[in-house]
Amino acid sequence: MPITILPPSVAQEPTRSLYQDGSQSDSDSDGGVDLDGDVSMGRPTKRARRDEAIVTPGEVITEDPQWMRGHGTYTIPEPPQIISSVAGTLSKTNKLLSVRPLRARYTPEIGDLVVGRIVEVQARRWRVDVGAALLAQLPLSAINLPGGIQRRRTETDELQIRTFFSEGELLVAEVQQLYNDGAAVLHTRSLKYGKLRNGVFMAVTGTGGGGGVVRARRQAFTLDISSSGAEGGEKIDVILGVNGYIWISKHIEGEGAAAESSGPGITRIEESVGLNVYSSQNDSIPLDTMREIARTRGVITALVENGLRVDEEMVTKGYQEAVEMARGEGEGDDSLWLGGEKGKRLADALVGR
Amino acid sequence: MATTTLLSPAELAYLHSTLSLTPPIRPDGRTATQFRPLTAETGILPGTNGSARICFADGTEAIVGVKAEVEKTRLSPYQDRNGRRQGSRRKGPAKSKQGKPEDSEDSGEEEDGELQDAEVKGSNDWVEISVEIPGYRDDDSSTVFLGTMLSEALLADGDFTRRLWINRRFHWKLYIDIILISPPLSYPLPLLSLTSHLALLSTRLPKLRSEADEDPMFDDDWAASTFIYPQTGEGSKTSATTRPPITLLVMAVGDNIIFDPSKEELAVADSALAVSVGEGQALQEKAAEEGTMEVDASGVDGKPGRALRLLSVRTIDPPSRLTPPGVPNSVNASAWGQGGAASKNPDARQAETGDVAGVWKAPRGGMKPAVLGAMVAKVLEKGGVADEVLDGLQGVELA
Repeated sequence: MPITILPPSVAQEPTRSLYQDGSQSDSDSDGGVDLDGDVSMGRPTKRARRDEAIVTPGEVITEDPQWMRGHGTYTIPEPPQIISSVAGTLSKTNKLLSVRPLRARYTPEIGDLVVGRIVEVQARRWRVDVGAALLAQLPLSAINLPGGIQRRRTETDELQIRTFFSEGELLVAEVQQLYNDGAAVLHTRSLKYGKLRNGVFMAVTGTGGGGGVVRARRQAFTLDISSSGAEGGEKIDVILGVNGYIWISKHIEGEGAAAESSGPGITRIEESVGLNVYSSQNDSIPLDTMREIARTRGVITALVENGLRVDEEMVTKGYQEAVEMARGEGEGDDSLWLGGEKGKRLADALVGR
Repeated sequence: MATTTLLSPAELAYLHSTLSLTPPIRPDGRTATQFRPLTAETGILPGTNGSARICFADGTEAIVGVKAEVEKTRLSPYQDRNGRRQGSRRKGPAKSKQGKPEDSEDSGEEEDGELQDAEVKGSNDWVEISVEIPGYRDDDSSTVFLGTMLSEALLADGDFTRRLWINRRFHWKLYIDIILISPPLSYPLPLLSLTSHLALLSTRLPKLRSEADEDPMFDDDWAASTFIYPQTGEGSKTSATTRPPITLLVMAVGDNIIFDPSKEELAVADSALAVSVGEGQALQEKAAEEGTMEVDASGVDGKPGRALRLLSVRTIDPPSRLTPPGVPNSVNASAWGQGGAASKNPDARQAETGDVAGVWKAPRGGMKPAVLGAMVAKVLEKGGVADEVLDGLQGVELA
């Protein structure tokens, strides 16, 4: 079946309560949202369960002075109001009102493992897209030189800056420093970081939304694919960037972000920084590995589409489940496809519904 | 619109190698002919004659509204008012005031099928298509190209504008507004085409109450309105329905032919093609009108025939041609020590390198004729993709 066309899912009818507004006095906590007259396009003016309701930017959350404003809100002095500044769900902690945005750009924090894409090459640094509001920067001095040589970056290096990273290339890095405006400075001075190859990239929502990548103990891990019948003892590396950028690639022993950290320390770095850290040539990848990489990508897409979090545990479990599902249905042509209904079933199986 | 996507050479090389396998492994696990699942509904805009909305799971969404207006037909000085080339019968350009004597003449002519056929003739000016893509100007070449491609398919058979004919002095003018709501995450042509297909399918025009060449008067009752593409069994001349065309995006990587490519897939395509397909019922109708071979035409193998007709084929310049090439390790200055002598100027060397396994190189040259033929054949195949897509779209409930 090459095409599936679904009817639109019925939108939940907002509890429209123009009448309630008058009859129900909001004496205590949640003051009714009340804009002056002119907006009467059937916008729900008051909701039964505030936690599920969505507020939009500019919507007055409350006029009651007993509340304090939290993230995603602002106040105006006259008349005293708390107004939402993002679209999202309202959450209340004691007397603190905050709005959790439905989707937001990534806000970098020091120490985050991120996957980024070079968008601009400048004289002494690269500008990297990490899905944040501002481009991150990667100074030339914050990368490893091939062969692990420790020296000052010379003009020769500046002239050859594109041989390390050029536009469009992907890298995994760590946030080293933050500027006042929220822009991040990255570094790749570890064996775990550097240029990415041998795999596929995908972008999901990062921290902030409902589903998506969450900060976890380990952002990069190795997935065992032997259960799918793949031969040759190949493995897959998965790097879940905190910014929601994900890299799935073939595992190479002793390389990449998921490698064990028992390697040599910074003092012996020259012995182990491979000579091909800045290579853009792919190794030969077995067919089975390619298939499992595509399956893993499907699993992550299904997780995101069904609003589940993406972390090591969910991906690993989801992958095993997907392999089981494919085996149950027989290895058909479309056993890799995990969209639509199949994705829903996978998500249901994962959360035990 | 070649939505230039920034991809690294290593990614491109990987994608290209997975898509050239047999069968290809697509990054999202679809089969080569599988479309992304979509959500469709019609009749969403109350102020229009017909409208539709289609939404992909990735969030790309398009809305199409069709609005009809009555417009006075401008007569060409070279044609008489019957739409025929001016012949011996009348001298001087016909002025439209002398309606009555004309009518009597026409009623005589109407018995003649051929003449009437010539009379009910549309003009391509009667349809106006506008496409809006967020982030692109209206007169951006890519937007114009999309609009032209869609209107080309619609007007290709000349049958569509005939449906807009009211009488000799008036016709419907159709405004088709195609709006992509989301940013173009992938080349939006198939999405826009499918949405306009549904919108046109749901388009209704008010029922005409006036007769012949009077100023048109319409029935107020919207329930009595007629579909511009008559539905099955609804008083059309033949039981079969003709339907608006669809335009499919097809791409080739190696020998693999892949439908509905996503952005990443298009970025490694060797060649891409937009194929417009219509249902070949116009021939059938004509055959029915002539009163011959009605049986033959309707359904060759039992199934009421869907004779697919190729309306147009356009090559699309895939963005893959603009992608930067990868650098093989042998000439990579920062992977020194691996190959031969390290180069001082790697950019100069890049152009010289031949094909190296695992290194991306942008496709060069045109499309091979055999591949082009195979792509078109794959679309038109009986029970093939176009057939299935039309079947799927038929299942959408018309509001």
